[in-house]
Amino acid sequence: MSTNGDSPEEFKGDSRDPSGFLSEIIGAPVTVKLNSGIIYKGDLQSVDGYMNIALERCEEVSEGKVIRRWGDAFVRGNNVTYISADSS
Amino acid sequence: MSVDNLLPLELIDKCVGSQIWILMNGGKEFVGTLIGFDDYVNMVLEDVTEIDLNSTRTKLPKILLNGNNICMMVPGGDGTWVEAEE
Repeated sequence: MSTNGDSPEEFKGDSRDPSGFLSEIIGAPVTVKLNSGIIYKGDLQSVDGYMNIALERCEEVSEGKVIRRWGDAFVRGNNVTYISADSS
Repeated sequence: MSVDNLLPLELIDKCVGSQIWILMNGGKEFVGTLIGFDDYVNMVLEDVTEIDLNSTRTKLPKILLNGNNICMMVPGGDGTWVEAEE
């Protein structure tokens, strides 16, 4: 996992804080919601301290339907509202 | 919960493990259990309900919420409030 961002506690792997949660969900299916409301689903390949995100199998979802398939995608962190671990 | 002589982030630290209501800049809201947070007040939340501007509720099992757009946090809040009397 890349840690080039200015994460305040540099990913020390305690699942109670944000960095620990991120290392817990690397490789897992996630939903990423942007400030604009756009939703991306995919496998979380990596995250850094800016919340820049690399997604594999990335799909854009609108009203519960996949509207675009992007494959490998990079999302710039400043646009991210949240990263959600998919329950499935 | 006593909040005398408590720094703002100490108040949030006291909320870890309990329910919290988060109001975002754009008017969106989140209610969930606070699992943890960092110096930017990015937050890990569990059993989350996302409430958007037209009151649509979305359940999310566990999220990392970007602290950038957080406006206010209400310890113990469940997304309801009391109207002020005239």
